[in-house]
Amino acid sequence: MKFWNKKIASFIAVGGMFAAMATGAQADEWPTKTVKLIVPYAAGGTTDITTRKIAELLTDKLDENIIVENRPGAGSTKGTSMLAKGRGASHVLLMASPGHVIGPAIYPGIDYDPVKDFKFIRNIIDVPNVMVVSGDSPYNTVAEFIEDAKNKEMTFGSSGVGGSLHMSGELLKSMTGLNLTHVPFRGSGESVPAVISGDVDFSFENLPVAMPHIKAGKMKALAVTTAERSPYLPDVPTMQEAGKGYGLETFKVSAWFGLIAHKSFSEEASLKMQKLLDEVIKTEDFKEFMKTRGAVAGVQAGDDFKAFIQDEVKKWAVVAEKANVKK
Amino acid sequence: MMENFTEVLSLFLSVDNFIAIIIGVVIGVVIGAIPGLTATMAVALALPFTFSLEPVTAILLLVGIYKGGMYGGSITAILIKTPGSPASACTLLDGYPMAQKGQATKALQTALYSSCIADFISNLSLIFFASYLAKIAMNFGPPEFFWLICFSLTIIVSVSGEAIIKGLIAACLGIIVSCIGLDQMYGTERMTFGHYDLMDGISFVPLMIGLFAIPEVIDFYYTKAQPHIIKNVDKSKLSLQEFKQCLKSIIRGSFIGVIIGSIPGTGATASAFISYSEAKRTSPRRANFGKGEPEGVAASEAGNNGVAGATLIPLLSLGIPGDIITAIILGAFMIHGLTPGPLMFQQNLSLIYAIFCGIMLSSIVLFIVGNLTIKYFSKVSDLPKPILLPIVLLFCVFGTYAVNNSIFDIGVMFAFGIMGFFFAKMGIAAAPFLIGFILGPMFEDNLHRSLLISKGDLSIFVRGPITWFFIALTIASLIFVIRRWHQGRTVNAEVDQNLE
Repeated sequence: MKFWNKKIASFIAVGGMFAAMATGAQADEWPTKTVKLIVPYAAGGTTDITTRKIAELLTDKLDENIIVENRPGAGSTKGTSMLAKGRGASHVLLMASPGHVIGPAIYPGIDYDPVKDFKFIRNIIDVPNVMVVSGDSPYNTVAEFIEDAKNKEMTFGSSGVGGSLHMSGELLKSMTGLNLTHVPFRGSGESVPAVISGDVDFSFENLPVAMPHIKAGKMKALAVTTAERSPYLPDVPTMQEAGKGYGLETFKVSAWFGLIAHKSFSEEASLKMQKLLDEVIKTEDFKEFMKTRGAVAGVQAGDDFKAFIQDEVKKWAVVAEKANVKK
Repeated sequence: MMENFTEVLSLFLSVDNFIAIIIGVVIGVVIGAIPGLTATMAVALALPFTFSLEPVTAILLLVGIYKGGMYGGSITAILIKTPGSPASACTLLDGYPMAQKGQATKALQTALYSSCIADFISNLSLIFFASYLAKIAMNFGPPEFFWLICFSLTIIVSVSGEAIIKGLIAACLGIIVSCIGLDQMYGTERMTFGHYDLMDGISFVPLMIGLFAIPEVIDFYYTKAQPHIIKNVDKSKLSLQEFKQCLKSIIRGSFIGVIIGSIPGTGATASAFISYSEAKRTSPRRANFGKGEPEGVAASEAGNNGVAGATLIPLLSLGIPGDIITAIILGAFMIHGLTPGPLMFQQNLSLIYAIFCGIMLSSIVLFIVGNLTIKYFSKVSDLPKPILLPIVLLFCVFGTYAVNNSIFDIGVMFAFGIMGFFFAKMGIAAAPFLIGFILGPMFEDNLHRSLLISKGDLSIFVRGPITWFFIALTIASLIFVIRRWHQGRTVNAEVDQNLE
């Protein structure tokens, strides 16, 4: 009766939460109250699922409860803006993703600085994007595709303007100078059939979304966008390998998910969270979770993570401006 | 074969599965019945609870919530003119007038029976025609969508009541409001006036609640009406005769739902409106539509529940989620290490059939739960308005806030509430506004996408049999509408002449 066990556990957890709120925790060490994880996207997406998994695993390791709160809107910038304003900053964290670095390049009127206003805790997972064409497409390699694209206009689909999938296409365009036209769809539910049926010439998709279609032969994977090959598609080259000689030697994009906090977040708490996240990432449970999402563990923490974000902000500002997707 | 059969049974016949379905349906019905709390939200919030369940149990819990939510949305649409979910917005057109006439029980029964029948038909289609329907869905590109939307836009006329011109104006206003926010193609700002909260456009739930529920509240206090108690006076149940009259629309609505549901990206709301429009066009009692006709409720509910099983077709057979709920269910599959798609039918056939068994069972559970709850829900319409309306207002504010945790959305709800109130005073139907708001962006996006794909070549709009079919349907529907309108005007002119 696992189901009932789960139910009872949930009730105890909720009851515990209220009890903790009523009495107030006495411990001096961080956290001294409930920790809130903000998801700047709607419930049910990859960011939400990842955050809830992390919350579940962290709950066992912290003395306080963790709650997950969805604050969607304007890419991820609405929720991030809330964090930047700093209310209850000592116990609030946010699950950042590429929207954190792309958003400022395309949304007007953003009232925070994506680097200076935050403290960067740890990058948790990296999910590669993969360049795919229809299973019936004549192209089998990135080189074949580029050679053909030099002579004609090509179209690429994405799940929407300003996402990491769209911007991967724009990055390819800006690095190769090819004549590529973006065709945005609403979500991968619409963009995937468009590639399979050949309505668009190619697209970038998140690896877990594309995987079943690649395995079924409906799509061909030309390259993954990360610097390293994906353990889930070991035969597919990276964009850097496949685009050698075509100016793609530094091409690197991934959908990363990492925790950030307000700039006033204490150093002690930040280090504690880094340590706990290191432990969580190594658990079998989380490894299994990463496998289902086609993800690998993120490596950057603290200042390294901040430097990574700084580079990403600069990179996407240039690409967005070239692509004419700008404020 | 026998081995597979035993394996299916062993996967399906567990107490956990039965409990999951029952809990799922009950949660779905309750959440669906609360304005603003949609089935999507309920499924999303239940997802983390499924991490530790067995795969079949997890999926069945989510499917149960989905199905319960689709029906639950109709309860408040009928009783208090507040659709619990967008897909049941069409149900209130006839459901609420029925409740006002004191036929709340009958309206709820009609909604339940048509929901369950449509759900059942949708499930059968999923089980027997999944691969065939999936093939059609894969041939649905932007030009095919464009024509489907064109056809759907002709619905505006049938939900405009007698004031077609006013209906068209409302639809145009809906389209204009839908343009607010960042443009889907280039990310350029439209009518945001630099306001951060308008970047994503107007949210659907606040607009819908504002448009339908708030005008009732304003009107009550504006007219300073005497506390008028509409008792659920007519305790009569849906008679066999009435059910038979609805059956044709239920069956047709179910199949419309199956087709629309199997195409990714269209959704239950459009399906409900198309089904309603078709029922109104063909019914011998079409004059009663909008005034409390059970067939209107049946058509709408069959249309939106017919989608429920069919949205799983592209998910299970292609691995493509057709809407947000199926995207979340896809997430649940992946959490359990399963990848829906053609390979799943080869590798996990027993599991798929165990899920199918559960889905069929969920229709039956929905029927039982629905029947048990009708008599309690119908008591809501017995409440005196001075008590009921503040409660409605509370739920509206709560539900609207819950969507995005946004105070701004509450303002949006009241703004559209005031607009809805003036619409009612001027005799403008609110439903065409809603349709314009939903279909406008789909029309624009697919027109734009088609032209981007074809690099400006217009021949893409007649590229294959599906486009031809929908062009023919659109033209036929337009001819029908114009003829009906012309006939109506002639009759009115004759009446005027006779009066003179």
